[in-house]
Amino acid sequence: MSSVREWSDDAGALRRFGLALVRDDRFVFDDVAACALIDKLFRQASLTLVDCPGGDRRAARVRAFAQFVRLYRRHARRLAVDEDGGWIETPPSSCGSAAVGVRGLPLELREALLLVVLAGFTHREAAEALDLPLAVVIDRLVRARTRLAVHMAASRDAAAAWPQSAHLRIVK
Amino acid sequence: MTGRADPAETLAYVDDCLDPEARSDFEARLKVDPELRREVAQWESQNRAIRAAFGAPPRSALDFGDASNENAVRRGGEAARSIGGAAQPFGQARSQRGATAPIAKSRPARLGATARRVVGAVALAAAMVWVGLPVLTPRPPAALLAAGASAARALADLPVEFVAGDPAALAQRLGPRLALTPPLAPGLQLVGARLAPSSQATATLYLYENSHSARVALMVEPLDEIGAAPAQHGEVDGLSVAAWTGAGYGFVAAAAEDADVAALVAAAGADDNSVADADSQRR
Repeated sequence: MSSVREWSDDAGALRRFGLALVRDDRFVFDDVAACALIDKLFRQASLTLVDCPGGDRRAARVRAFAQFVRLYRRHARRLAVDEDGGWIETPPSSCGSAAVGVRGLPLELREALLLVVLAGFTHREAAEALDLPLAVVIDRLVRARTRLAVHMAASRDAAAAWPQSAHLRIVK
Repeated sequence: MTGRADPAETLAYVDDCLDPEARSDFEARLKVDPELRREVAQWESQNRAIRAAFGAPPRSALDFGDASNENAVRRGGEAARSIGGAAQPFGQARSQRGATAPIAKSRPARLGATARRVVGAVALAAAMVWVGLPVLTPRPPAALLAAGASAARALADLPVEFVAGDPAALAQRLGPRLALTPPLAPGLQLVGARLAPSSQATATLYLYENSHSARVALMVEPLDEIGAAPAQHGEVDGLSVAAWTGAGYGFVAAAAEDADVAALVAAAGADDNSVADADSQRR
């Protein structure tokens, strides 16, 4: 029954990755909405995990994550088109935490970063799951980390300067 | 970025994607380059912040052979903590007490601590010889076995709700928690599955047919935080039944013939040895 345990491990990692990916503070604002969307996408993506008796576990894992990313890209593209006809980058939030910084990243950077850091994929596996060349994935990782570092440094500076700069707005 | 190291290589080191040779080369450069060390520390700190922000367990330095498996990494971290000497307040207290000088005090003649332990051990051994050794192996819950037997008796001969010809559709209908890859036993043909009430939650009842077209049932119930227990065989109302637990699930195989149950138990790998191995691996 070790395959059952491995399958549940992968399912847990996929769910965690999904929850981090779909919370973008643009279309999905809270955990309840994220969970509802995850349940829908997860059920479809996990079929690739279930339907591989005796297969290579690593390949099944990459397939499941790739399927999830594809489903979410399709979902997000539809929402973006419904809203304003184009893909818009999420405006960066002023709130300072790693989670908010990640949510502020564009989807293409966010999915690469979360696959590697949160789901524990190697760069090559991430490239396979995202169906991209390895160089593109590495470039996205560098950009994502640099932007996230800038965001976190800015939020740290803002938090340090807060007592001096904060003031109440006068409302007449 | 420093310009001394390729950013891609630095990221590959931080994300543990370098092969051993390249890794040792990079670590050699890391020793002599403080700027590179600072950069690596920055990315590692960012990784930790992201993992903590989304509730993922921290990565351990121990390699358990499958770096992608987060639970294995978590188990590795727990093992490292226990090996590395976590805080043991009671042990420390005992050793401190032992280090102090004994207080000479005249007391009435009583058995010492060692003598009391010896007497206790002798009494326990005598009781075990008299009564018999207790069963120390883990056992599946009795309610699980009863629920599996009831479900098999009531539902096994009814038409299946989900046919086995399409495992993808089966999984989609049942959901990820209930849909597992059912074991395929020699001589048994998987017919389909039904949902069934069980001891604590809804379970999946996989139905097979043997060579005489008699139904054989395997109930799988998701159970949170249950330890692995080897198959326990029994007979309930003329049905041969075996129940076991493992991997967060409870399993009950039920059939009219013992051979069919034994085939399912063997196909599921629920004999004593494999369950003991799985349990020791988890620890």
